[in-house]
Amino acid sequence: MRNIRRVLRIALFLIIGLWLHYVMPQRDIARVTSTEIIRTDFSSLNRMFYAQADSGTVENPTRDLRLVNTERKATYLFGLIRGNNETMVFRNEDTGWIYPPYFKFDSSDLQAEAAAAISTTEPYEWVVVTHYGWRLRWASIYPNAVSIRTIEVPEGQSPEDYRPFPWVNLIIYALLIAGLLFVRAMWRQFRERTVDPLADKVGDQYDHVSADLSERKGRISRWLGTWRKK
Amino acid sequence: MQFVRLVVFGFLILSVIYLCITLYSRSIRREKLEDEWDENPPEGATPDKRAAFIKDGMTKYESGLRKKLILLVFIIPPLVVGTIIYFIN
Repeated sequence: MRNIRRVLRIALFLIIGLWLHYVMPQRDIARVTSTEIIRTDFSSLNRMFYAQADSGTVENPTRDLRLVNTERKATYLFGLIRGNNETMVFRNEDTGWIYPPYFKFDSSDLQAEAAAAISTTEPYEWVVVTHYGWRLRWASIYPNAVSIRTIEVPEGQSPEDYRPFPWVNLIIYALLIAGLLFVRAMWRQFRERTVDPLADKVGDQYDHVSADLSERKGRISRWLGTWRKK
Repeated sequence: MQFVRLVVFGFLILSVIYLCITLYSRSIRREKLEDEWDENPPEGATPDKRAAFIKDGMTKYESGLRKKLILLVFIIPPLVVGTIIYFIN
């Protein structure tokens, strides 16, 4: 029983962690090499990793997908370097009004910005690509680029060493933890003030009833006792 | 259409949150009033006087500013959404 609960808890943490890793914004330092548009037919496997058609248009089973091809610098996870400089393809879709709540409606403008930032000859122009999502080759899914901006380089640094600090993520995580603690406090208050007194009352009543019962039994057996031989 | 869905469901969810916070806040206030009386009961305290004291405090709370502040639950999320839309687009 304890092991089952442990496994369930680990699975829950894993799912929430993966989900957060998927939807939270991340930033890559990259160099846009080209932009393109491909026709996409979704399968039931990868449909949930795509957003919907441009905001305000009709959803069809097949549509065009904007892609931004880049060469990106090694990324960091918890301060650890992972991967090398490699090519990375971002999709560029409206997230619309619902999920994930980026409220991005400007895919076309972003595509124009990406095209304007194309840099294929030295000196390269590096940009910060804010995105969420994963690149899974076997399922043909791409991270969704949310914004592209050119890097403002501090004195004496090359743009390639630039590492943006994830303030937004910090704030979101802080708010999430605060919300979780608040829900916990609410639940405790509810239990202390509503559930426990109710349970006490029920337990009390049960005690009364059982006391009553044994009292009655006692009376009957005492009455029976009067018939017994002393 | 999506926008309508967001507004409708958002309003429903915020209403549930508002209700929960209202109940929670009321419960906290009542507990505080009870503790305040029990810690330092005045001369000749009776259960009736205690109930009256708590009732009095609760009516004050119901018409106070704190209770109205909970309405911020309906105001802050749209502001946040507006800010996100402004910065993303």
